[in-house]
Amino acid sequence: MIEMIQVSHRFVIGKKGRERVVPVLHDIDLHVEKGEIVAIVGRSGSGKSTLLNLMSGYIHPTSGTIRVAGQAVTGLSEGDWANFRLAHLGFMFQSFQLIPSMTAFENAELPLVLKGIDVAERKKRVMALLHQVGVAEYAGHYPGELSGGQQQRVSVARALMLNPPIVLADEPTGSLDSDNERQLLALIRELNRELGITFVLITHDEQVAATAHRTIALKDGYLLNAPRKGETHSYEIQ
Amino acid sequence: MKKNKTRLFMTVLATAMGCAFLIVLASVGFGLQKSIVDKVVGDRLVTAIDVYGIASEDGVDRQIDEKGIAYLRSVDRVKAVTYRNNVRQTIRSTVDGVAVTPGKVINVDFAAETAAGFGLSAGRLPQADDEVVIGYYSRMPAEGFKPGDEPPSAEEWLGKTMSMEASQFETDGTERKKSFSVKIVGIAAKPSREWQLDNSTYVGNAAMGNIESFTGTQWGEQRIAPDKENPEGYEPPGLQDPRQYSEIQVIAEGARHVKEIAEQIRGQGYFVHSVADELDQINLVFLIMKIGLVFVGTIAVLIASIGIYNTMTMAVTERAQDIGIMKAIGAHPSAIRRIFLLESAMIGVLGAIIGTAVAYVISMAVNAGLPLIIEGFMDEKVPQDFRFSFIPGYLAALSSLISLAVALLSGSRPARRATRIDVLRALRRDL
Repeated sequence: MIEMIQVSHRFVIGKKGRERVVPVLHDIDLHVEKGEIVAIVGRSGSGKSTLLNLMSGYIHPTSGTIRVAGQAVTGLSEGDWANFRLAHLGFMFQSFQLIPSMTAFENAELPLVLKGIDVAERKKRVMALLHQVGVAEYAGHYPGELSGGQQQRVSVARALMLNPPIVLADEPTGSLDSDNERQLLALIRELNRELGITFVLITHDEQVAATAHRTIALKDGYLLNAPRKGETHSYEIQ
Repeated sequence: MKKNKTRLFMTVLATAMGCAFLIVLASVGFGLQKSIVDKVVGDRLVTAIDVYGIASEDGVDRQIDEKGIAYLRSVDRVKAVTYRNNVRQTIRSTVDGVAVTPGKVINVDFAAETAAGFGLSAGRLPQADDEVVIGYYSRMPAEGFKPGDEPPSAEEWLGKTMSMEASQFETDGTERKKSFSVKIVGIAAKPSREWQLDNSTYVGNAAMGNIESFTGTQWGEQRIAPDKENPEGYEPPGLQDPRQYSEIQVIAEGARHVKEIAEQIRGQGYFVHSVADELDQINLVFLIMKIGLVFVGTIAVLIASIGIYNTMTMAVTERAQDIGIMKAIGAHPSAIRRIFLLESAMIGVLGAIIGTAVAYVISMAVNAGLPLIIEGFMDEKVPQDFRFSFIPGYLAALSSLISLAVALLSGSRPARRATRIDVLRALRRDL
């Protein structure tokens, strides 16, 4: 489902004339199978968020090839990436990233609006998903009026609104208490089992990592292990 | 936009003021043009060419004979040739025993008048031989009527029979009288000038023929009364004498043909004049003036555009995070651009609607108030029907279009900036 071949990435920082190159990822080879839940773990600065950003198309690799859902995405333009994201990817963020001036309903509805779905169909689909994730009664509330757990559920609804085959989640439980974390992980497992959605989770939480079918560890931009689906975990969170 | 309503309101207000200024400024050009053109044109048609006479060996013949009329009708692109021949005696007319206001009886060719567009205020043009049209002021009270007063409506006489009494002096000096019954089927249009009181009766060729048969003279001319002096022994032209027509107008098929027809007729020795000749020059001057005024007015809209640009730039800055989130989940750059362009367009449309409404109010106030101020303070009288400001529909449409275009132009750069917002920086709230 996701394939990275010899992917490297480095940032150029500093002012013009005094630029400094900071290598972040080195020769990453990674395969995520369809229907997998994969956790990417590592210390802060290990490059795990950069890895997810490369899969999301927010940044582009310095070298190497990335294929997502069978399509080579390395050379896509910004517009093509936008269309690709809308069609194939769902996103969950640590800080939920809901638009504060929009209600829960409007936030969840956003992908449908961007896709050009008509109003009646949007209303039906949004309410069904908000109901499924357990926040239908808060549809008219603004993010500021919701708890962290409720906000993350709205963001899950938004991520799943267009039935994407892949959901990329950056520290999805990072802002949740243990109860909400447990409920969210249960929801992820359920969605994976019932809908076959592939999840890539960035985390440094053991409980989240334990939810995954396999765990990939990064250290200083190098992949320590990338066991295939079914192989045993062999990592250590540092 | 919802966040800062005051800023939005002020931006829309600035746009509305710019648009209103543009319309009001240009409307002065349109108003002056309309007033001056109306004065020049009067009741005449812009497609009409007046034929005053024809060159002859001893100068100018003021009247045209039947051959001349036939020639004028034969000219290409001529829609109709009208004439107006006065019945040359005073006809006394009554309706239900009530005297019709004394006025001229005019013979017209109703078939030609139909093509030329004879103006009626009520009823229709005659179709039968005994049908006539009377003037708008044919039912004035015998005394106490002042120009500007509205006369009793002549419409009540529509369909009624009018008795027209003609008279003739026989060669032996005795006076004969005869009444003709005609049916009133139309009331002529109200003259545009307050001082014009149309109390004529318009009769067709058949009714004219009846009068002529009775008088035995052309145009029903009365012989000189026996008690009046007639040293030269003048005898009115008889029915067999060559017929002369007066007040001839050639009506062109369209205003653009007026010039070529006038040239052609002039080439045959006719003395002609058309309003279109004067209008060409006047309209050119006013066209230049109006373009200048629209240009100056557009500067006001451009100044308002600075406000729109500022508002949209602030909107993009304030919503950078929201834009980042939208881009992160798959918003196409064109969708982001469209959102901001729509918002600028909304400012432009709202500004144009409010500005146009305000401009109409100002225009009405100026037209109503300025004559009073001029009369009050400068002791000058403003001509009747003079308009300082006139807003044709297309001026309002053009100004709205300019406001909308300027709004879109002002919003295009901020909209483009919005598409370039970096997703990661926005998600980190780093903008």
